[in-house]
Amino acid sequence: MTTTTTPVASSPGRSTTQATRGGALGVLRRWGTIIVILLVGVLFGVLSPYFATVSNFNNILFSMIVSAMVSMGLTYVVAAGSFDLSVGVIVTTASIVTALLIPHTGWPLAIVGGLIIACVIGLVNGLLVTYARLSGIVSTLGMMFVLGGINQYLTNGYQIPVDYGEVAFRFIGQGRVGPVGFPVFLLAAVFISGHVLSTRSKVGHYIGAVGDNPMAAYYSGILVYRWVVVSFVLSALFAGIGGVILTSISSSAQPVGGEGYLLEAFAAVFLGATILGKGKPHLLGTLLGVFFLYMVSSGMNMVGISFATRQLFNGLVLILAVGANALLNREEIHLKFI
Amino acid sequence: MAAPLVELRDLHKDFSGVQVLKGISLVLNQGEIHGLLGENGAGKSTLIKILTGVYAASSGEVLLDGKAVVIHGPIGAHRLGLGAVYQDAELVGSYTVAENIVLGNEPSHGWLDRRAILREASAILDQIGVTIDPTRRASSLTAAEMQMVTLATLFHRRYRLIILDEPTARLSAPETRLLFGLMARFREQGIAIVYISHRLNEIRELCDRATILRDGSVSGTLARDEINEEIVTRLMVNRSAAELDVSNPGFAQADRVVLELRDLSTPRLRPLSLQVRAGEVLGITGPLGAGMEQIERSLGGLGAYSGTILVDGTAQAIASPAHARRAGIALIPEDRRKQALFPNLSLAENVALPALGDLAIGGLVGPGSVLRYAHSVVDRLSIFPNAPERAMRFFSGGNQQKAVIGKWLKRDARVYVFVEPTSGVDVGAIRQIYELILELARAGAAIIVISSSVKELLALSETIAVVHHGAISALLPRDACTRDSLLALTISATAPAAVA
Repeated sequence: MTTTTTPVASSPGRSTTQATRGGALGVLRRWGTIIVILLVGVLFGVLSPYFATVSNFNNILFSMIVSAMVSMGLTYVVAAGSFDLSVGVIVTTASIVTALLIPHTGWPLAIVGGLIIACVIGLVNGLLVTYARLSGIVSTLGMMFVLGGINQYLTNGYQIPVDYGEVAFRFIGQGRVGPVGFPVFLLAAVFISGHVLSTRSKVGHYIGAVGDNPMAAYYSGILVYRWVVVSFVLSALFAGIGGVILTSISSSAQPVGGEGYLLEAFAAVFLGATILGKGKPHLLGTLLGVFFLYMVSSGMNMVGISFATRQLFNGLVLILAVGANALLNREEIHLKFI
Repeated sequence: MAAPLVELRDLHKDFSGVQVLKGISLVLNQGEIHGLLGENGAGKSTLIKILTGVYAASSGEVLLDGKAVVIHGPIGAHRLGLGAVYQDAELVGSYTVAENIVLGNEPSHGWLDRRAILREASAILDQIGVTIDPTRRASSLTAAEMQMVTLATLFHRRYRLIILDEPTARLSAPETRLLFGLMARFREQGIAIVYISHRLNEIRELCDRATILRDGSVSGTLARDEINEEIVTRLMVNRSAAELDVSNPGFAQADRVVLELRDLSTPRLRPLSLQVRAGEVLGITGPLGAGMEQIERSLGGLGAYSGTILVDGTAQAIASPAHARRAGIALIPEDRRKQALFPNLSLAENVALPALGDLAIGGLVGPGSVLRYAHSVVDRLSIFPNAPERAMRFFSGGNQQKAVIGKWLKRDARVYVFVEPTSGVDVGAIRQIYELILELARAGAAIIVISSSVKELLALSETIAVVHHGAISALLPRDACTRDSLLALTISATAPAAVA
């Protein structure tokens, strides 16, 4: 009955396993994607004299506004461990609702109305994937079709014009402050608040915890369902803001077309997750991801590369960036195929 | 001296008619460390799950501070101050140690104050004497460090009752000391601790009282100075329960070694050499975390090992489950639902899966041939209900286990490794599973049964090995063991003797 204190034969690996990985690899993991973005930028700058100019930079920023809004919103849902396929169509719905309301309520309330509708859609998505136990993919795919139908009903398939006299409303998307388009400031403001929300507040902290290890979050007394719902509402709200800006930019609401933002948003979120080697979605990464996609698009346009090649390139970059990151962050057994 | 904190009154729990708890009454005092002992299946884990809100009791009351409470799920338990640390510590991998320690109880409202989080977490770590850098990511921690961090999280949650389930299983001696110091601190604060362990010397050292469960009832509560091996063994072993009159008459074929391990070792297992002959059933037992799972992981191709594994005299490199299958080793894991079955596929599809190659004609498998094959398996294993087209998840634990065995019938594995073959299996099916295992032995397979149930090993084995601290501390023929002597061997942590 002696109390033997034979340590398990194992203590190796107990002290400081997985210290920092080899330096070069670590740098590559952290900065790899950013280096690629810079290199591609420099390449276009060399190939076209018009590329590396302030006005082109301005153009890129302006063209990516709606896509950036949608992508940043989607980041919250992916961070919470789910999927939202309805973000693209929410842009269209919010746009239509806003355009329809302007003649009746005036533009400020119309914007509020569009955003509220977006939030309600997000709420429904969130409730479906939590309390109703549907998967994120299935419920938001369903929502995508439902909204597509509603958009047709609301518009009868025609565009809803915004009256030319709505100067203040048009300023949101078309105004300029000095050389910079007003919506770029909106983008900056939304990005900064979103970034603060996700890195400095409990909202982002809990959403990240839920997405990483829902079981641990649950046992820590975190209301897991609440934060999943919040992530869907945020996603829809950001898409709604994109919809409002889109309405203002084009002075009208189109019955279709928002779907296109969906795939860009997913590409940006997953590309963004590789930025700074975080391996999980974050807002800054997403914003840089969107910027990269639009920068490549603009550069190739100037160099005279066809649309087909551009698509091919974007797809390859996404696969390479995410694939290289997965290689650098090897898990022991990989059995997740979502 | 101390006031009662939690009182359990006549708790009953049954799962679809099978009584697991048969009236548990127990008082846990403030500032008390209360040991909980019992064989596998005695009801310990069910009792814990009721206290932590995972299950609801079928009848009976839980009183907190003398008032009856209803525990609504884990969050309800959390709110009442009832917490548990499970064997598998749960942390958020991408967050730092500090963020994990205060998760859910951040020191500020709304906004995150990372400096305050770090300060608070460092204070807790200092207080409990754990030296882990609070800025490290949780995913970079070792299992033992994770466990210490999980314990640190308890400090923050203002729990009044903490349940520790085999907390020392993965800890080294100094870490165990640390844990005991931590528990003493919890006790000073008036927190009650339920301490579950198979290691009697720990219970004796730490606990003010200990309760022994046997077959779903309390068979005795002992004060600290009453705890000794003899009394505990007597209370744990259930002599009245009808002995399962299954025993292994001995099918070992003297000179036909099927499985041989030569210096098999892993970081948690010292070099181990042993032989299993054709028809022999080798039972392996020991306290949780002693290293039994290392043997199973190596043989199943689930973890890296060094040393040599020979099947029928041929050395096999087993780097993945597919290698193990090709080498003729069948691993029947404990967590059947997750690791061995496809709950949404039918019984027929499950059992026929490994045999599809044999059933296929020109690369195509007809549903008829799958069903015919499944029927032959189901008949042989007496799976109930005899409904091959029913989805696997609708079968009971025992019948699921039979289906897992059925998956391997046609593959004619040379070596079968069973891990806790009857955990979660209803009593009626246990005997049938035992008979199936013995039948495999009679047919000449080498069989390893890894189990924490002494009863089970005595029924099945021809040879029994006891593992402590990553090494075999005893290797004896079945006939040399009695229930009491074997139980004594497993609960007393004797120094591992050098046994071949």
